[in-house]
This record gives sequence, structure tokens and C-alpha cells, in this order.
Amino acid sequence: MQFLYAAWTVKHKPKSTAEIVGNPSALKTLSDWLQSWSKGIPKKRAAFLYGSPGVGKTVSVEALAHDLNMELVEKNASDYRTEDAINRFAGLASQYASLFGGKRIVLLDELDGLMGNADKGGVKAISDIVKTARCPVVLIANSAYDPRFRTLRSYCLLIDFKKPIANSIAKRLQYICEREGIQADENALKFIAQRSEGDVRSAVNDLQALAQGKKRLTYDDVSWLAYRDRQESIFNVLRMIVYGRTALGAKQAVDMADVDIDMLFEWIYENAPAHLTDPHDLAQAMDALAMADVYRGRIHASQDWSYLRYVIDFMTAGVALARQNSKVSGWIPFKFPSRIMMLSRSKAQRALLKRIGLKIRRKCHISAARASKEVLPYLRIIFKNDVHMAAGIAKWLDLDEEMVEYIVGTKAKAGKITVFLP
Amino acid sequence: MSFEMWAEKYRPKHLGDMVDQKTIVERLKSFVRSKNVPHCIFAGPPGTGKTTAALCLARDLYGEGYREHLMELNASDERGINVVRETVKTFARSRSIGEIPFKILILDEADNMTSDAQQALRRTMERYTETCRFIMCANYSGKIIEPIQSRCAPFRFTFLPREEHDGYIKHIAERESVQLLPDGVEAIFEVCGGDLRRGINTLQGAASMNKPVDAKLVYSITGKASPSDVQKMLTTAINGDFLGARKQLRDMLQKYGVAGVDIIRQIHKEIFRAEIPEPLKMKLAGITGEVDFRLVEGSDEEVQLSALLAKLVEAGYEMKKLG
Repeated sequence: MQFLYAAWTVKHKPKSTAEIVGNPSALKTLSDWLQSWSKGIPKKRAAFLYGSPGVGKTVSVEALAHDLNMELVEKNASDYRTEDAINRFAGLASQYASLFGGKRIVLLDELDGLMGNADKGGVKAISDIVKTARCPVVLIANSAYDPRFRTLRSYCLLIDFKKPIANSIAKRLQYICEREGIQADENALKFIAQRSEGDVRSAVNDLQALAQGKKRLTYDDVSWLAYRDRQESIFNVLRMIVYGRTALGAKQAVDMADVDIDMLFEWIYENAPAHLTDPHDLAQAMDALAMADVYRGRIHASQDWSYLRYVIDFMTAGVALARQNSKVSGWIPFKFPSRIMMLSRSKAQRALLKRIGLKIRRKCHISAARASKEVLPYLRIIFKNDVHMAAGIAKWLDLDEEMVEYIVGTKAKAGKITVFLP
Repeated sequence: MSFEMWAEKYRPKHLGDMVDQKTIVERLKSFVRSKNVPHCIFAGPPGTGKTTAALCLARDLYGEGYREHLMELNASDERGINVVRETVKTFARSRSIGEIPFKILILDEADNMTSDAQQALRRTMERYTETCRFIMCANYSGKIIEPIQSRCAPFRFTFLPREEHDGYIKHIAERESVQLLPDGVEAIFEVCGGDLRRGINTLQGAASMNKPVDAKLVYSITGKASPSDVQKMLTTAINGDFLGARKQLRDMLQKYGVAGVDIIRQIHKEIFRAEIPEPLKMKLAGITGEVDFRLVEGSDEEVQLSALLAKLVEAGYEMKKLG
């Protein structure tokens, strides 16, 4: 029974290189180098595999050892602090053949996990051993370009492991589902794969969390994942919408957005026009946004949030599919919604404006916000042209000197008005 | 010459003084006669007399001491849910002393309230109907949530017609001894489109120059106060600069507080004067009508109007292709 609950990353770990997701050229390089040892010690005695987590570095070495029938001696790098361990490593590396006559690979995993600056000596010890190794040594780290590895690097064959594309990961997830007897929707698996951003291990973990014990896995089962940790940046979301090819793809972008629907609307409304060079496409997209807005209004009036799906349809798929003839002309940056941007006025000035607005409100039955737009411009004209009328109004509104000065613009002009004030 | 804002000085005090919205005024007068007022929504563009009608109704109902029975709240300044919970509730539940058993709460710019606040308001309205009647003033009734709409008697205010607008402006000019020339009145109506508050403010602004008020002076005033240059915006769009046109639209709406419906009216007029192919004119007029309706329904002014601008960009492009 225990096996039932084993981690799928272990249970469905690729046994041979044929099962590995992605990185065919890295695998070939590594395989060729390992096989070259049978013709004598090659120039580089160690291979340095690097790439982001979960792209399949360790599993590739394990699968190759299996395929080439070699003995793999695997060490976790965190063991390599003590002199004792270094010596043991040196001993292992000094012989090509194992006790039973098979060929041997020594693997040092998670190199970047172990040493801080204080452990510089450790890296040097490993470098020394690599220089004289008599069997293939494989080193693994997330980044090979850490300054600490500078010397070590020069003795190694560097092999870059890249993030596999989402489609390849989805295929692997499909294979696992088949083995687990789960019928999974293709877009559900694609969603998991996309979200993993090339981290196959996390994709398999996610799949297990979502699908274990189920007979069927649908898109609805997985879409909530979007609200978890890893969020697409708003720019990726916009790209998916503005350059989306399918209605469904554009719609799914909403699940990945880190912002609420209204804010996402503003992002699209701000940015879509600059990316739609063809006037027909532009008109079509703006029409879709206007329709989304109509449904937004209907939600507001009726308080029936089920209309939200139409808001999403129009603002994502509607905008994506508007693109028919527009050319992708160079790189256009996405901009923060300018409608939302705070007024450029300073805080102090805004506060003063608000106080004037409140004075106007008391007399004119109009909100402070509207007063500054609708009444203030006329006050400016009056205050600049007719000192007596200005003084009368200032008194009537109960404006102080600072307010009068703000309205007329200069202290000198304000003085001509304020002399009349009590 | 007196020294206050003329828009206030000449605000009608009684329902009988109101120059327009005749059918509405008649119904409000009947409320006064029966000494009973339902919850109301006053919907319509700015400067058409919504607040004035509400204030007149209160004055006619309670007499000169009407202030004691009236509260004016402005939703744009305090639109949070807490204001509704605290201020409104406190006012609404205390009993009124006097002949009329209820008070009146005017909620101005109610379409700017969040829907949460509106939901809270809906319960308050229901609970304290006995002691308080609400008058909600809004530019667009569609932005009021349906449960509130269904509890209110709707009144739709419209822009003042030409004659009444002109009559009112001329009346004020006379009282203030301003020399107002015929083309000056015409210009005020042209630029303010029947928004009486803006019209009166424009007159006062022009009068402060101490010159006879003619069309040229009016245009220079409004140019400074609110460059609602719809024609320029349309030209920008037809020439293919969508982002530029949208910027001009945004300035009109946000900086100068021009109402969306006002812009739509002007666009509608301009379409038939613009140099675009004849068949396109009807198509654009149709879209204009749709946008007009959507605004009343409660949609975002800028989003709807910029969709119309994009159509104009398209029209301009078609024309260029035809040569």
C-alpha cells in the first residue's frame, strides 16, 4: 500500500534516456563524452551540468548510467565539507573500474548548495581531484557561472540543460496519467505544464496533488492553481491576450493574472491600441472592450456576477481575435494604465485643492471633486480679471489667503484681492 | 453687481420658479400637495436642475426652516460604505418633529457610490422608510443598482431647450447689468449645450472681463475653462492618431469635467458636418446612438467613447484608401 502514496517524481522517474523530457543535444554531448572514456582518458575529466531546478540534470545522468550499463556512485554535495569525505571522493575517482569490474561514474550533485565563500578550499580540493580523476566525474549545479567555480570550470566540459517546452512536459504528464489510469483533458495538462515554467519536477508534483485518486482530470480541476504561488507577470498575461491566437488561450490568461479583473481591463485598455496597427483590428478590439464594459455595467446594476464570464470573453478573446492584419512591428513596451496613475500634482497641492473644493461644496451643492473641475476654472478667470468680484466671492466662499493665491497663481495678484477680506 | 457665484444666487428657490423640466416639476408639486414623497431617483446630465429640484421640493414641503429636515450628502466625496452605515443611518432613523413625519436625504452623485455602499443603502432605505425619504441624484441611472432603482420613483432630467436656456441667461445678465450681445447668448448655448450651471459660470467669467459679452469673448473664456474641442478630437481620430484622440477625450472628461453625454451630442452634430463619405455618416450616427444608450445604461464614458473614436480612425483609413 505504501507504494500507492509514493511521490510520482520517484515512481515515474525516467529509467532510460528515451523517457527524458527535452534537452536532446545535452544528452547526446554527455553520452558521447561518457563513451569516449572507453578509448582512454579524455582531455576534460569532468562534465559540469548546469540549468535551473527540475529540468532533468540528475535524472539524465542516472538514465545514461542505466543505458550505458555503468555503475553510478552518487554523492550529495553537502557531504563534502569534511576532509574525510573529500578523501573518499578522491579514492573513488582514482579508479576507473568498480569492484565488480563495471565502469563507474562519480556524480557530485547540488554543488551550489554547499559552499559559501568560507568553503573556497572545498572547491579547490574538488578541482584538484578532477584534474587527476581516472573515471568520469559529473558535477551538477544550477549555475556554472558562479565566480567560485571559475577555476573548476576550466577543467570541465560544460553542458547547458535548458527548460523543456510546455508541450513536451504535457506529453510526459499524459504518459504518467495513462500509467495511473487517469483520463486527463489535454488543456488541463497543458495548463499545469505551462505553469511549471519548464520545471518538470514541479509539474509532476502538481499533477499528483491534483489528480491522485481521480479517474478524470478536467481544466476546472486545475485552473485554481493559478491563484497559488507562482503568478505570471502582468506582461506575460498581456502578451497572451494581445497576441493570443485562440479564444481559449486568451481567456486562460485571466487565471494567470496577478491583478483583479477591473485592473486587468485597464491594462488591456491602455496597451492594446499600440499593438494593433491595422485600423480595422483596432476598431474591432475597442468594440470588444466596450462590450466587456457594457457587461461590467450590467453586473453593477443587477449585482449578478454570473455575467462576469462575458466581461472576460470580450476583454480577452474579443481583443485577441481582433488581430487580423496588424503586423508585429518591433518591440513595444507595455505601459502602466495611465488612467489609474495618480495626478501629477503634489500631495500638498492636492490637499489644498480638496480644501478649496470643500469650501465650494458648502455653498454650491456640488461635490468637492466636481467643484475643482467645474467651478474652479471659472473662479480662475474671475479672480484674474475682476478684483472686486473676486474679493466678494472669496469672502462668500470663506477662502483664506493661501487658497486665493492658489487660484490666481501669484502672491502679488492674491494680495490685491485679499486686501478686501476682513 | 453682487459678489457671489451667480449660479447659486439665481438658483430657483421654489418649484414654481423652475424654468424647465415641466412634467417633473408638476409631479413634485403634487408630492408637496399630498405631503408625501416617495424615494426618488433624479437622473440626467449635469446642470439640468436635479439638485435644484430636490432643494426646491424640500423648501416647499417644510417651509423656510427646511434645513432642519434635510441632509445633503455627496457620494463622490464620501462614497464609502461607512458613510452609509453611520451618517445616513443616524440621520435616517431619528424621527422628524412637525407636521411631516419624514425627513429628506439628498444623495448627490449617487452613481459614484460603490456597489457595496449601495447595497448597504438599500437596507437602510427599506428599514427607515417611515422616517426618511431618499432622493438620489445621478448622471446615469444605470449606475444605480437595480434593487434601489425598483424602490424609487424615476425622474429623467434632460438638457434645457434653447429658448428656456437663453431666457434664463438673459435674465441674469439683465439683473447683473451685464451687456450681453445676441451672439454671446448663442455662443454660451453652443459651448455649454444646455448645462445651465456651466452656462451661468461662463456668463459670470465673461462678465469679469468688464467688456460687452459677445461670441468671441465667450469662446475665449470657455477655451480657457474647458477646451471641449470635440471637432479637434474628431479630426485627430480621422487622421489616424487614435492615442492622441483618446488623450484629448480623457482631458475633456477628467480634467475639465465635461459630461460624456454632452460630448456624444456634439459628436453627433459634428459627424454630419465632417468630411467623410456619406454612407459612413449614417453608420457612425448609428454607433453614436448605441454609445449614447450605453452611457445611460451605466457604462464607462471613456471606454465607450474611445470605441467610437476607433471607428472614426477606421473611417479615416477607408477614405484614404479610396483616395
